[in-house]
Amino acid sequence: MAEIRIKNLHKEFGVGDDKVVALEDVNLDISGHSFVSIVGPSGCGKSTLLNILTGIETPTNGTVEITSDGHVAAPGYVFQAARLLPWRTVTDNLLFVQEDRSEGTKERCQRYLEMVQLGDKGDKFPGELSGGMQQRVGIARAFSIEPDVLFMDEPFSHLDAITARALRRELHHMWDETKKMVVFVTHDVGEAVELSNRILVFAKGGRLEDDIQIDLPFPRDPADDEVAVAKAHVLRKFEELDLLAS
Amino acid sequence: MTVTETRPGTAGSQPAPNPGQRLFAIPTKIAKSPLSARVLFPIVLFAVWELSLIAVEEIWPFAVDVLPTPSEVGGFMWDEFITDTLARKNLYETFFISLRRLLSGFAIAMVLGTALGLAMGLSRATNAFCHDWTMAILAMPALAWALFNSIIFGFDDRGPILTVILAGIPFVIVNVREGVRNTPRELFDMARSFQVPQSKVIRHVLVPSLMPFMFAAARYCFSIGWKGLVIAEVFGGQDGAGWTIKFWYDAHRAHGVVGYAAFFVIFAILFERLVFEPISRRAFRWRPQLQTEVVEEAFGEHHEHYGEEETARHG
Repeated sequence: MAEIRIKNLHKEFGVGDDKVVALEDVNLDISGHSFVSIVGPSGCGKSTLLNILTGIETPTNGTVEITSDGHVAAPGYVFQAARLLPWRTVTDNLLFVQEDRSEGTKERCQRYLEMVQLGDKGDKFPGELSGGMQQRVGIARAFSIEPDVLFMDEPFSHLDAITARALRRELHHMWDETKKMVVFVTHDVGEAVELSNRILVFAKGGRLEDDIQIDLPFPRDPADDEVAVAKAHVLRKFEELDLLAS
Repeated sequence: MTVTETRPGTAGSQPAPNPGQRLFAIPTKIAKSPLSARVLFPIVLFAVWELSLIAVEEIWPFAVDVLPTPSEVGGFMWDEFITDTLARKNLYETFFISLRRLLSGFAIAMVLGTALGLAMGLSRATNAFCHDWTMAILAMPALAWALFNSIIFGFDDRGPILTVILAGIPFVIVNVREGVRNTPRELFDMARSFQVPQSKVIRHVLVPSLMPFMFAAARYCFSIGWKGLVIAEVFGGQDGAGWTIKFWYDAHRAHGVVGYAAFFVIFAILFERLVFEPISRRAFRWRPQLQTEVVEEAFGEHHEHYGEEETARHG
C-alpha cells in the first residue's frame, strides 16, 4: 500500500521583499487506493506541491515521505502536455521509460496501450495521433511502469470537452482496475468531483483550506443529482473562501 | 424541435459551368501546373541564349567567336563525360580529387564546429569568448581564405581543405549552438521524472532533438564549403574542379568554362538528391507528412521545404 506523509511543509520563493510563500504549513496523509484531487485557484501552490512530491523542487521546511510497504514508492507521471518523444513510435515511447526491453516488458506496454484503446497504434509516431490519443499514450506510459503512486498535472486541460470526458472514464477504470494511488491536480471542480474520493482545496498563499471526502458510487455522471450537489458543495467552499473571485 | 440541414452544392447554390470554361479547363490546368513551369524554364533559357547570340552577331560579329553556343557547351560536356579531354585529368579524376578535399574539410568542420557549438550553447562564458570570432569568420569571404591559404601552403591539399573548414565551420557552430539552446526542456524533465538513465536521455532525447540543426549545419557547411573549395583550387591548386575551370579560362575556351560550371551545379544537385535527401528522409520520417500535390511530390520535393512552398503558393 502506498502512503504519502506530508509534515509542516513550507515553501518560499525569492528573498527579502520579493519573497513569495507558495505553501504554508501543509500537513497531510494520503494512503491506499485513493484518488485525491488538489484544487484551487492559480497561484494557490498546487503545482508547487506536485513539484515537491515529484522531486522537481525541494521544500524550504518540513518533510515529505512517499512510501510503499516501507520502501520508497515508485512514482509515475502524467503531464499537462503528453510530452512524448516525437521521433519515437508509441511503443518506443513506452519502452523509453522502462528499465529493460525484455519480452515481458514489451507485453506489459502493449497491455497498457490496449487499456487506453491504442493497441493497434504502437507503430505510429506521436505526430500521427490526435491530441487526445497522445494524452492516452502519456497515461499508458505512466501506468506501464506499474508505479505505486501516479501524479497527474491537469492532464485533460488541453483537450476538448468530449475527449476529456472519455479519457476521464478510462482513467477511472484504470485506477479501479490497478488499485493505484492517484494524486490529481486540476482547476476543474467538476472533474475533481467526478473522479475523486477526496478533494483537497488550497487557497491563495498555499494554505490547505479544506479536505472533502466524496463518498458517492462510481461511475459518476456529472448530470446526476448527487454529483451535482457534491460539485455545488465544493464550489460553495470556494466561495466561502472567496476564492472564486480571485 | 426541427433540424434543417443545408447541403452545399445543391441546385441553385452554384452557377452552371460555362461550356467555354470547360473547353479550356484542361489546357489551363496544364499551363498552371508547376511541372509545366519547370519544363518551360530550360526551354526559355535556351531560347534566350540562342536569340541573344543572334542579336550580338548583328551588332558585333567578332564576339560570336568567343561566346559559346548551347551546342558547343553540350558537345564539350559530352566529351568530358566520355573522358575525351584536353585537360591534364579527366572529369571523374578531377571531381574525385575535389570531393576528397571537400569531404576532408567538411568532416573536420563538422566535428570541430559541433564541439564548439555544443560548448557555446552550454556555457555563456564560452559563447562570450567565441561569439565575435565566429561572426568574424562568418563575415570573411571565402575568396580571402583561399588567397591566405594559398600564400601559406602553396599548391598542395592543405590550402583548399583549410578553406573548406573556414568557410563552413561558422555555419556548423551557429546551428549547433541554436540546437542546444532549443533543446526540449519539458522532455528532459519528463525523462528525469521517470528516472531514465543519463546515457539513454542523451541518445534518445538530446541527439534526436539536435538532428534538424545538424542537418541544416551539414547542408550549409557542404554547399558553402564547396564554393570555397572551388575558389581555393583556382588560386592554390594544381588540379581539382576549380583548377580545371581556370584551365579552360586560360585556354580561352568559353564553352569549357560554362560547361564546367554546369558540372558544378550538377554535382551539387546530385549530392543533395542522392546523399542528403535520403538520409534526412530516413532521419525525419517521424515528422508528419504534408499533404502536397502529387505533381510536387513527383519531383521528390524535400518535405523540409514545405513551409516555404506553402506560403509561396498561398501568399
